[in-house]
Amino acid sequence: MNIESTTPVAPNDSESQRPVPEAIRQGASATTESTQNSQRRIRRSKTFYGICVSVSFLSIVVLAVLLISIAVQGRSRLTPTLLTGAHSTSEPASSGMYPAIIGSLSICAVCALSALPLGIGTAIFLEEFQPTNPWLRRLHGFLNLNISNLAGVPSIVYGLLGLSLFVFMFNAFGQIKVNESSGTELMGVERYYQILTLAGGGDSVLVRQTDLALPTITITEPIEAVDRDGNTFRLEVWDPKSGTPKPKDPATQHRTVRLGQSGGAYAKTSWYYFRLPFGRSFLAAGLTLSLVILPIVIIAAQEALRSVSPSLREASYGLGATKWQTVRNVSLPAAIPGIMTGAILAMGRAIGEAAPILVVLGATVAKNSGPQNLMDTVVTMPVLIFHWAGDPQVTYQQLAAAAIIVLLLVLLLMNSLAIYLRQKIRVE
Amino acid sequence: MIPEQTQPIRLAIDMPQSASATNAPTTDTSAPSPADASQSAEELCIEISHFNAWYGSFQAIHDLSLDIRRNQVTAFIGPSGCGKSTLLRWINRMNDIVPTAHSNGTLRIHDLDVLSPSTDVVHLRRQVGMVFQKPNPFPKTIYENVAFGPRLHLKLRRGELDELVEWSLRKAAVWDEVKDRLNAPALGLSGGQQQRLCIARAIAVGPEILLMDEPCSALDPASTLAIEDLIYELREQYTIVMVTHNMQQASRCSDRTAFFFEGRLVESGPTDDVFTKPQQKRTDDYVRGRFG
Ligand SMILES: Nc1ncnc2c1ncn2[C@@H]1O[C@H](COP(=O)(O)OP(=O)(O)OP(=O)(O)O)[C@@H](O)[C@H]1O
Ligand SMILES: [Mg+2]
Repeated sequence: MNIESTTPVAPNDSESQRPVPEAIRQGASATTESTQNSQRRIRRSKTFYGICVSVSFLSIVVLAVLLISIAVQGRSRLTPTLLTGAHSTSEPASSGMYPAIIGSLSICAVCALSALPLGIGTAIFLEEFQPTNPWLRRLHGFLNLNISNLAGVPSIVYGLLGLSLFVFMFNAFGQIKVNESSGTELMGVERYYQILTLAGGGDSVLVRQTDLALPTITITEPIEAVDRDGNTFRLEVWDPKSGTPKPKDPATQHRTVRLGQSGGAYAKTSWYYFRLPFGRSFLAAGLTLSLVILPIVIIAAQEALRSVSPSLREASYGLGATKWQTVRNVSLPAAIPGIMTGAILAMGRAIGEAAPILVVLGATVAKNSGPQNLMDTVVTMPVLIFHWAGDPQVTYQQLAAAAIIVLLLVLLLMNSLAIYLRQKIRVE
Repeated sequence: MIPEQTQPIRLAIDMPQSASATNAPTTDTSAPSPADASQSAEELCIEISHFNAWYGSFQAIHDLSLDIRRNQVTAFIGPSGCGKSTLLRWINRMNDIVPTAHSNGTLRIHDLDVLSPSTDVVHLRRQVGMVFQKPNPFPKTIYENVAFGPRLHLKLRRGELDELVEWSLRKAAVWDEVKDRLNAPALGLSGGQQQRLCIARAIAVGPEILLMDEPCSALDPASTLAIEDLIYELREQYTIVMVTHNMQQASRCSDRTAFFFEGRLVESGPTDDVFTKPQQKRTDDYVRGRFG
């Protein structure tokens, strides 16, 4: 509308008469003083730029020196054996890290499967929901405040937490002892005694173990047994002192044992063998690592969700979307790239962690395969590297360097996969 | 909708008209007069009485009573911060998102008590669509943007959905511009096209009322005119409430105008009356651009 035609309103009048501040008038004119001033500031800015460049260059140089020295040291051990072999105490030259690679990857899988849904869920709760319930609201505030503190807790503390929480479960299900049935077994295991038959040559049959407290059994009378194919049959007893001749027929020999023959406990486990507590298993280790990275995942996901424009959320609510529909269709898709970035960083951290693994699984590296079931222990790359690097033999030192290269490559591979996925999601 | 080519002409007609404050309400020759329509449909649609709204302890709206009629365009005008958006966002309970916001009084849409805690806001927001100040299409394709709302509420077959998307885009007067690139990202459209896409998205869920909070303030004059024409068209089927800071816009495309000041309703009535013979001194000052 035409403002000139109307008389100016009173307040504007007095405003316009206020004198222009001295500082502004000076600044506006290009005196020699102000030119010098700006020259000085430009110089200062350039100096700062130079410092930044040299500092970042320095860190790159340090990294390069590290990588080159490792590459030089480990070059001779970068052989196929490194990827296929297992740690050997007697033959350092044929040692490899296959079990460690599989071990690290399986721990990472457990870690990702538990930490990502939990972390993203928590972030959604913290960012997208304003609880009305006073207790929930208190929890909301408390979590929000403390998550960044949790991210700063040293990982060994999480290791100790994992030890009592997952490995022993506060002994609520009984103490875990090595190589012994313990805790509460829920599924995936059948326990037997293994007994040598008359057939000889190591031929044995299995007898179901009924009392887990008895580590051995002594056969004194015929008993029900199971053969290798899982068929049950009656196991006969032959008493050498009774005078009856030893059966000659191999089939009979296979079904007969000497009187007083004893057998040790033998556990037949499936991959889904599951018991409480988890013991020194890769499941426990993975869950412990997920505690370590959970705060990182939560913070990254929170940050990503926070950066989703509120106007998109409003648009969704405005169309009648429920909270869940909005999270599912608008907030999460927009936040996924950021969440993935956080997840990559977190997984990188997890795969390189040694301290909590040492606490949870111990320092043992004597394992020549990946995990056979959920309760199996594993060797991980950082622990193996730690072990090798501490060995006085030169070969192990070289192996450690080579293993570091492999670890870095695995990390690189994982990251590129995640970046590829992120890019793909972004394009869609 | 007036074809694209005539827009510059309309622009030319509007400019001199807007230059003189005194004859602002002169009817626009290129579109039907707002006054014509205001006579026919007088049915009540939204009834607001003794409505108060707060953000925390700050009262943004004081004892406000206003009737909004069906199939009319009602414009909310007033200086910045006077509570226009707040009232608008209470009509579809958008302020539920703001944790500190609360209100009392009566706000009814036909028989529905909007403010009641038991009101189904999902259903309410389906009935009352909203278009925002800044075009805010989802970072999806044009098609997906329009299909977003219907998908929330209905299980539609592909064919039905296609038809609905086309209908909405035609209604929002962007179909011709986007029909060849329905699967292109919506963010690749111009601001004006994006805003019309947002209108299409809003009407795709079949609302009865459309709330528009400064729908043209982020747009250039040509896009603004396109949206104004569209608002004019949409009035036949929807009840429209729009907030605007543009006096010409209010006078051009609204049937009734409500003037707000510091959280109170100062004056409301047929747009012509509010602009030519305002009852209140403050309204007069404001529509003449003396403050605000
Ligand atoms: N989320 C919020 N929290 C607290 N106060 C708010 C919030 N939103 C708005 N207000 C306040 O409520 C008052 C009314 O705001 P509102 O957004 O309704 O004004 P408006 O008339 O739409 O202004 P504009 O024309 O600038 O958009 C203002 O004083 C504003 O500061
Ligand atoms: Mg506003």
